Amino acid sequence: MRESWLSARSAVALGGLLLAGVAAAARPDFTGVWGVYREPGAAAPQRGAPQPALPLKPEAKAKIDAYHALVDKSGDTPGGFCLGTGMPGSMLGSGGYPMEIVQHDKMLVVVYEAHTEVRHIYLGERAKEQDLFPDRNGYSFGRWEGDKLIVETTHLKEAVDQARYPHSDQAKIVEEYRLVSNDDGSKVLIANMTLTDPAFYTQPIKSEKKWQYQPGVRLLPYECTEPAWEAHLEELANKKGAH
Amino acid sequence: MTKSLLALLYAAALTPPALAHHSAARFDLTIRDHTVTGIVKEFHPANPHTKIVLEIADDKGKRDVEFEGHSLNNYYRAGWREGMVKLGDKITLYAAPTKDGTDGGYALEVVAADGTRF
Repeated sequence: MRESWLSARSAVALGGLLLAGVAAAARPDFTGVWGVYREPGAAAPQRGAPQPALPLKPEAKAKIDAYHALVDKSGDTPGGFCLGTGMPGSMLGSGGYPMEIVQHDKMLVVVYEAHTEVRHIYLGERAKEQDLFPDRNGYSFGRWEGDKLIVETTHLKEAVDQARYPHSDQAKIVEEYRLVSNDDGSKVLIANMTLTDPAFYTQPIKSEKKWQYQPGVRLLPYECTEPAWEAHLEELANKKGAH
Repeated sequence: MTKSLLALLYAAALTPPALAHHSAARFDLTIRDHTVTGIVKEFHPANPHTKIVLEIADDKGKRDVEFEGHSLNNYYRAGWREGMVKLGDKITLYAAPTKDGTDGGYALEVVAADGTRF
């Protein structure tokens, strides 16, 4: 009797393992280097092309206008000061540079080449609220729904300097990633983004980004502050020489 | 002071001042066929933008003119490799001019002395 009960329990456990294995096998692997996708035959996107107006609340528009009044004449940007793009600019293109995804069971690491900006998408245990603090890329927690990866990002800093979608610190960004194949069999990663921000917007903002798999491409280092360090050393050397 | 630090300071002393901040706003990026030819006085591939100084001789006389260019990473992916542009080389830039007509420009493409384009 006991033997048959053990056998039944083993069978159930084995079945569970098999099901888990099937579920894991159904998950796509996003690991690799991804570049900006361009439709076959499409021209390169024009820099500075006009964009549709955003459904901004008046107080948010005033903040963003004040920022642009400061920088538009000089053209200053965070990137020009070696600052990473931050969300959602990072996931929507990051200056046209490639990104690399390293996928693990409990975490995905996304490295955007521009400014070597890194995002961690945690899949295991969510961090405790008291251990989090605001950041330009926020805190990202994901889950698999079949073959789709759903990522929620919170704990963002207010960022009026976002090129396309400025936001407040109340912003929440949900990304939905899925893998498709082109007619030629090449892999395309599609990311649908929804930005919800009751402090800045009257309605959710939606956007789509496509990435093309780039086998054989390696991410390059993006050292940006070294010239400033060299200039500082030169200044020190000049001062020393003057004495 | 260690030898390595001295060497570093010596190297730093040879390094020209870098651009502190970068912006392409002062260039007219709609003009993409304007060319400038000159002798390389400085060539510093860097991120977010490259610094190029050419000695140019034209109607205004002989002088050094500073240009800004794409990032090191973008030039690399377009074919630039270390040593391809050397001091004293005669090179040509496809350079978007400044909006106010002053010297300088944004180097959209570089034609190296051996004809390599990036």
